[in-house]
Amino acid sequence: MKKFSKFLVLGIFVVSLFSSCAKQPTQAIDAAKAAIEAAQKEGATVYAADELKKLKDDLQAAMDEVSTQGKKFFKKFGTAKEMLTKVQTDADALKATIPAKIEAAKNAALQAQTDAKTALDEAKALLEKAPMGKGTKADIMAMKADLAGLETSFAEIQTAIDGADYFGASAKAATIKEKATVISDQVKAAIEKVTGKK
Amino acid sequence: MKTALPVLALFLCVFCASTCQSPPVPPEVEKAKAQENDIWRAGAPIYAADEYARYLETLRLAKEKLIKQNVRLRWFRDYKEVRADYIVILAQGDSLIKKVQAEKSSQSKDYSQRLGRFEERMGKIKALTQLMNEHAPVRENLARAEVVSREAQILIRNEKYTELASKLDLIEGHIRQAEEALFSILARYADDAQVARWRKLAEDTVSESRRRGTTAVLVNKLARTLTLFKKGKEIDVYEIGLGKYGLSDKLYAGDEATPEGRYKIVKKNAQSRFYKALLLDYPNEYDRRQFALAKKKGLISAQAAIGGLIEIHGGGNDSLTNGCVGVQDSVMDRIFLEVSVGTVVTIIGSLESADKFLAGIKVSGS
Repeated sequence: MKKFSKFLVLGIFVVSLFSSCAKQPTQAIDAAKAAIEAAQKEGATVYAADELKKLKDDLQAAMDEVSTQGKKFFKKFGTAKEMLTKVQTDADALKATIPAKIEAAKNAALQAQTDAKTALDEAKALLEKAPMGKGTKADIMAMKADLAGLETSFAEIQTAIDGADYFGASAKAATIKEKATVISDQVKAAIEKVTGKK
Repeated sequence: MKTALPVLALFLCVFCASTCQSPPVPPEVEKAKAQENDIWRAGAPIYAADEYARYLETLRLAKEKLIKQNVRLRWFRDYKEVRADYIVILAQGDSLIKKVQAEKSSQSKDYSQRLGRFEERMGKIKALTQLMNEHAPVRENLARAEVVSREAQILIRNEKYTELASKLDLIEGHIRQAEEALFSILARYADDAQVARWRKLAEDTVSESRRRGTTAVLVNKLARTLTLFKKGKEIDVYEIGLGKYGLSDKLYAGDEATPEGRYKIVKKNAQSRFYKALLLDYPNEYDRRQFALAKKKGLISAQAAIGGLIEIHGGGNDSLTNGCVGVQDSVMDRIFLEVSVGTVVTIIGSLESADKFLAGIKVSGS
């Protein structure tokens, strides 16, 4: 009887030991989720979509592990905790890279804006000195109107930059630069037409 | 003996546990994981949101079953049902990817067609601006539309269809503004009563040439032609060039418009700065009355002066005049020989209504 009581006490101790380890890692779950949300808020959805998706998948895998362990009699959340900690660490690391990515996109947009302005200015300068003689006046007038349209569109680049739409701003700037270059080439052709130079 | 039995049982259990291998997790589970990533990457959350949600729900349920099996002691695990579920999920995933691709392909086709129609419309308007020498604000709006159109092309190439709808709306807005500006200029040309008056003027000129056996000149501004008549018979048709606002009827000095009406050649200038020139008697009595009326109504500035020095001259038809009619030097040589002081020169807007022509732009773009 005495022996049985000893075993019983030992059994209760072991069960309580296991059950004390059986708590779900809610804190780690919350921390991992919060870290992902923070990365998202920083701009990961736009600037690191693939990495963000991987993080979400990793979180899901960790949650699956939590769920698996939660259903076991002898619960071991060690692996799940490790997975969650990794998700949190990765999310924090991803978040830390976002400002640099945004900065790079912004710089690219600003550079594209400068390039577009240079192309517009060049076209404008060429148009100013283009000979408005017979045979070219109509073309020059048309190109001036086209350039005026491009200048109006150019203002929209700044609006996009101000709205943090750096990819949109870059695309618009590249297009304006392309169109302005076409005008410059046309003016040069018109000048050649008048001067007879090839 | 009493203690030997539990020890034997424990030994058997340990032996079973170490030798009985649990069945492997079906390979479809890993495949489904990779497939889910492909589906996301393909854009299912955007292009097939409902189906994607259903797919995720099925996946979740299958995963729950998988977890249930994983939780069991290894020799009680049975993945048959799980495998069956995952096979269904893989098939569902395949069809979802196909659906996403089909949707993207359909959107690409749809947007490309719409963009193509816009570009066709822009091309027609641009051609008109070149024909009419009409630039701002038509060309300005066209240039803006072209910028957005190029952005839209890039978006289609990069399969970013979600941003396209707003871009196409923008293009349409710019085109509409260009069209409105164009239609306001061409409105007179679509006015049947006005076109009838021009026709009458042209018929009278030809009849008079036939009746009196004289030479007459008919200038058609919209068609950009100069027709030479002799004794009412058409001798030749030449291409002409007009000014920036050549399609408008001249009202005052500096409006760069070309007058409409019946005029006469008052001087033949063989030493013109534009090769050779035929000076017309613009403004005639009717023009003076119109000018006075416009001033009285406040349609033009009180300081405005009535214009003059309207000529048919050489220098080329690909130029911009200030209201004169420009022709090639070789054409000028021919006309110069055929006409004399007093020859009637009738300038009209058009012999045909521009209605169909304007409708053509709208229909093709709508």
